[in-house]
Amino acid sequence: MEAITGWWDDYFFASIVVLKIFMASLLLMVIFGLIGAAAKLSNSIIAKKIANAYTIIFRGTPEILVVLLIYFGSAIALTSLFQLFDPSIKYVDVPPFWAGTFAIALIVGSYATETFRGAFLGVEPGSIEAARALGLSNLQTFVYIRIPEMWRIALPSFGNHMLSLVKDTALISIIGLNELLFVAEQATATTGKPFTMFIVVGLIYLGISTVITLFVMGLEAYGRSHLRAAK
Amino acid sequence: MSFDITLILDSLPKMLSGIGLTFQLLILSGVLGLLLAFVLLLMRLTEKWYFSVPAQVFIYVFRGTPILVQIFIIYYGLPQFEAIRESIFWPILREPFGCAILALTLNTGAYVSEILRGAVLAVDRGLLEAGSALGLSRNQRFIYITSPLAIRLGIPPYSNDVISLLKSTALASTITIFDMMGIARTIVAETYAPYEIFISLAIIYMIFTFFIQKGFGYFENFMSRHVKK
Amino acid sequence: MTQPLIQMQNVDKFFGSFQALKNINLEVHKGERIVVCGPSGSGKSTMIRCINRLEKHNSGKILIGGRELTDSEKDIDAVRREVGMVFQSFNLFPHMTVLRNLMLAPQLVRKNNKSKAKEIAMKYLERVKIPDQANKYPSQLSGGQQQRVAIARALCMSPEILLFDEPTSALDPEMINEVLEVMEDLANEGMTMICVTHEMGFARSVADRVIFMDLGEIVEEASPQEFFENPKNERTKLFLSQILSH
Repeated sequence: MEAITGWWDDYFFASIVVLKIFMASLLLMVIFGLIGAAAKLSNSIIAKKIANAYTIIFRGTPEILVVLLIYFGSAIALTSLFQLFDPSIKYVDVPPFWAGTFAIALIVGSYATETFRGAFLGVEPGSIEAARALGLSNLQTFVYIRIPEMWRIALPSFGNHMLSLVKDTALISIIGLNELLFVAEQATATTGKPFTMFIVVGLIYLGISTVITLFVMGLEAYGRSHLRAAK
Repeated sequence: MSFDITLILDSLPKMLSGIGLTFQLLILSGVLGLLLAFVLLLMRLTEKWYFSVPAQVFIYVFRGTPILVQIFIIYYGLPQFEAIRESIFWPILREPFGCAILALTLNTGAYVSEILRGAVLAVDRGLLEAGSALGLSRNQRFIYITSPLAIRLGIPPYSNDVISLLKSTALASTITIFDMMGIARTIVAETYAPYEIFISLAIIYMIFTFFIQKGFGYFENFMSRHVKK
Repeated sequence: MTQPLIQMQNVDKFFGSFQALKNINLEVHKGERIVVCGPSGSGKSTMIRCINRLEKHNSGKILIGGRELTDSEKDIDAVRREVGMVFQSFNLFPHMTVLRNLMLAPQLVRKNNKSKAKEIAMKYLERVKIPDQANKYPSQLSGGQQQRVAIARALCMSPEILLFDEPTSALDPEMINEVLEVMEDLANEGMTMICVTHEMGFARSVADRVIFMDLGEIVEEASPQEFFENPKNERTKLFLSQILSH
């Protein structure tokens, strides 16, 4: 275990990178999911078709393929775009951090689309009718009845999506981001202790997953507390 | 930026030559994972803590860490130990293919076990009470009531997991396995045409996903033909 | 007098800190027909579910046919073979035909062979007047038919005692009578039964004794005539005035 002593700071900073990707992709994932759900629930046939294509594509394609395609693909796209203005540019580098963040947010966002859609449809029509019958406006019904109900329905799946995001951050090492797996590879190269080095990565991920799981469990317990009293 | 059709036509047969490996990874780890999942389920359903706790820890660890990390720990990590290199498992663990199968099996086993448990717990308690009231033993209730109903309930989430497993097989390309993904990455490295190659590969995966979904859909309809939703 | 078939002595039952049954004492003799009524949450269902050990009592004694219900799996199985139960929500096995629902326990528990089990099943299907539905699945039957199948399923085990847990509460009004008719037939044939029900007409016409429960206690126990015409307890009077007033 002493082989690891010189590497703690590297692991620490790599963990920070993972957390940053997680936060950024979480935000994007929610946005993609909400847009996707809104499109699927809209009356526009075109919006529906696009949203359907989005979920089918990103749920049916291996994650690693999406990450690679977006990283290399966006580099090529940006390069040709910049060449329009300045033909002397040979190559535009896309930061792996953002390509990766974008990619995993797109992937998990396709699952979140279904979660948000299901939550919207899962609200008891009776509650909505009751609110309307009481004279609440559309907006009031949405804010006081629909949103809290949706949140409660979506929470368990949403927790799983957060875990997927955290675990998918590992894929970004493939496009050369300096994160946990990258540190483990370097540490292995100097110490010759691959098991030790990769197990540390596993434990860090397990720790992050645990924190998220506990957080979601806490929220669910909170969400249930006022419903239990009604029974 | 242009889309090179001839490149796609040239590359498709090359990529499809990796289909055998992709399927071997999918089917071997799928079947072994299902067996593992069933063992884990039985361990959790017993009321003996020395069975249920290890199963829970196993599931927790494998669901809480990225599968890529699991693959790397097994492939790069295990040979650190002399005992492993001298064990009878070494011929399997020396090969990237064996490591990929092991990692995928352990991973999918953990997930599927949770699916099975969810399905078992979702079986209407009243039906089990009816079984008890008729004098059926615990085992008889499990075999004749819980299992057939749980299988129906478990099919949709299980089909999602098979699709996840298919997608995870692509990660085997990170440890020098030339499945479809591995071959595609080599072609991209040579031609630097990520759009053409990766998009056509994505379509191939999507076609498989479609068939897996359809297949399980038919199976589900067949199994629940008598049970009203 | 012979030994009672069911004896409950000082039975208490807790769900967490909530006491569902308080000091229940009950004796039921062979051939007796008991109706249990009371407001919801009064412990009626819990009491009869203790008789076949679907619920475990916390203290006191329950003896069925002289056999005490303890943690012994053997005793529980033996009791369950002799005590049939009909549930509010039918609880027919949805993945089996009506016939298979009826044959399951005779085959597995009584170890009858297939043709014998089928013979038994058909006999009781005829008794509940739906032999023509034998090969259908439960989801294809009406609620009343499903409940009659559930009664036939319990009868296939030739139980000594039949427990009914609000058998008509989940039924549409027009289907209640077909189920009550079957229950009345059974009562007239001398079956020992305990029925938790709100059907007061049924109680009046077939019960030997009516038991009124409230807050986990047996408040009053009387013949139907006494019970309906001259209730002693204030809580009974209140309950009767509430359910009979409309």
